[in-house]
Amino acid sequence: MSATSASTANPRPLDLASTPQVPLTRLAKVEYRKALDTRAGRWFIAAILLLVVAVEVIYAFAAGDDQKNFQDFLQVPGAVLGYFLPIIAIMLVTSEASQRNGLVTFTLEPRRSRVVLAKFLAGLGLAVSVMVLGLVLAVLGTLFGIVTGGSPSWSLDTGIVVNAIVLANVIGVFVGFALAMLIMNTPAAIVGYFVYSFILPTAVGILRALSDGFDKIAPWIEFNTAQTPLISGDFSPTGEQWAQIATSGFIWLIVPLAIGIWRLLRIEFK
Amino acid sequence: MITVESLTRRYGAFTAVDDVSFVCQPGRVTGFLGPNGAGKTTTMRVMVGLTQPTSGRVTIGGHRYADIPNPGRHVGVLLDASAQHAGRTGREILTIGAETMGLPKSRVDEMLRMVSLDDREAKRRLKNYSLGMKQRLGIAHALLGDPSVLILDEPANGLDPAGIRWMRGLLKDYADRGGTVLLSSHLLHEVEQIADEMILIGRGRIVASGTKEQLLAGTETKAAHVTALDNDLLAKALQAKGVTVAAAGTGLRAECAPVEVGRVAAEQAIVLTDLRSAGGGLEDLFLSLTEDTQREAPAQTPSAPATAEGTAR
Ligand SMILES: Nc1ncnc2c1ncn2[C@@H]1O[C@H](COP(=O)(O)OP(=O)(O)OP(=O)(O)O)[C@@H](O)[C@H]1O
Ligand SMILES: [Mg+2]
Repeated sequence: MSATSASTANPRPLDLASTPQVPLTRLAKVEYRKALDTRAGRWFIAAILLLVVAVEVIYAFAAGDDQKNFQDFLQVPGAVLGYFLPIIAIMLVTSEASQRNGLVTFTLEPRRSRVVLAKFLAGLGLAVSVMVLGLVLAVLGTLFGIVTGGSPSWSLDTGIVVNAIVLANVIGVFVGFALAMLIMNTPAAIVGYFVYSFILPTAVGILRALSDGFDKIAPWIEFNTAQTPLISGDFSPTGEQWAQIATSGFIWLIVPLAIGIWRLLRIEFK
Repeated sequence: MITVESLTRRYGAFTAVDDVSFVCQPGRVTGFLGPNGAGKTTTMRVMVGLTQPTSGRVTIGGHRYADIPNPGRHVGVLLDASAQHAGRTGREILTIGAETMGLPKSRVDEMLRMVSLDDREAKRRLKNYSLGMKQRLGIAHALLGDPSVLILDEPANGLDPAGIRWMRGLLKDYADRGGTVLLSSHLLHEVEQIADEMILIGRGRIVASGTKEQLLAGTETKAAHVTALDNDLLAKALQAKGVTVAAAGTGLRAECAPVEVGRVAAEQAIVLTDLRSAGGGLEDLFLSLTEDTQREAPAQTPSAPATAEGTAR
């Protein structure tokens, strides 16, 4: 063997037919497992659910008896999960760089786009699992509300289920993914997420109060503001409000997500 | 087999890997040797698609790594044993790998047993692993999918002497069964004992390659370290033959080939307790070939006086 014989050597092929590609469902299952197999991951999800329980209990005591309907209790997990599900998505992605296990992940599946898809599926799966648990907690909360004097209605608007719970949370999860892939560092991405979801809307609120012109355009360009009709009122945005969700969502979700994916497909995991 | 063709990787103006070509044959252990920062890890990262080459390419068994479906079943990779989630247990890390590759859970136990990690250790979190335990886990991970090609970056790093011997046996067996092994190191004596072929890299360029014998051919040994029961007698006998002799450590340093010393000792019936070549071996070759790429000038390497002389050029 010599350094120059490379081109003349006769490569011995691997038997590729013996190993089919790793199915996407298996990759997604592994990613789901990875979100739960560390103390950090498990405790984070347990903490979210505990927080939901705590808020449900406080609400059962604090709310007026006529506001102890199932729908009211369902808004608790809706709101709490809205803030924390994106962080699950963030950790799912950033741990690959921050904990460096991306070296192994992307060696076992070098087609990175498949890993990205698997992470999306796992993130959605986790979100759904946590939402279902949240739903169960809302039922328990409503029952507890009866103990504290409520006589609840169990009816639900489709708006709250489809828009406030499912759609708003799915949007949140993907905002988390976008930030995670853009920033690729766990603490920084979480800080970024809180800036996006707390500081940004607050700043926008102040500016809206100061300027009439900005007040009009804010929901078109700021995603949190645009989503307000999804998660409050009668949970059914008007046509114009949907258009605002679409335009601001393009700016704050679609574009960052596209850049984030582009970046993740290229960066060197070290 | 692994084929590297004119591989170049630049980072800005800096060339980490510079037009590197070599082949790792099946059935042989290929050692990839070079000083710190020579480009070994970068080359191996390109092999498995973690780093994109600036130009050139690498194929494994004729395929680009990214085109191999379920590559863990064909290519075992260990780049950095600590590049794993610190909060996962050893067993969990292997389980994730096995699950991704579609292997039964029993494979995890098999691998843990093979690298001598017991049940209690397998339950510990990676952050509580010792360096050598991490390394064992990394080797177990690389072998999980029963691959036919192994790419190992400094696999002996942190292993105890028994572990190193075990690994040497493991890799030899593996190659004897037709596997292709590429392992890197900056420790020459480590590679020397395992590798059938060696590739020497310095500052991104290949400076030499071949079997140990091929590499040594042409480099003569012109000095020997020798210890005899009666050193004085041996010194006199050597000097009588016109050989320069100097005291070195517990023995002597003779400026001639070891075979000459042996001959003189045999003639004079002097009992030798130790005889070996001083310099001129692979280490000298390695240091001289990579000399301009070393961080320290070889002669300044702090060591016993005799060795210092031996490595001076
Ligand atoms: N992303 C990067 N940006 C800039 N330089 C880089 C980058 N990655 C590697 N390098 C440089 O490339 C060179 C080769 O590094 P590499 O890790 O391949 O060396 P090595 O042979 O593995 O060394 P060691 O024996 O110390 O592990 C080094 O000088 C390193 O600093
Ligand atoms: Mg290295």
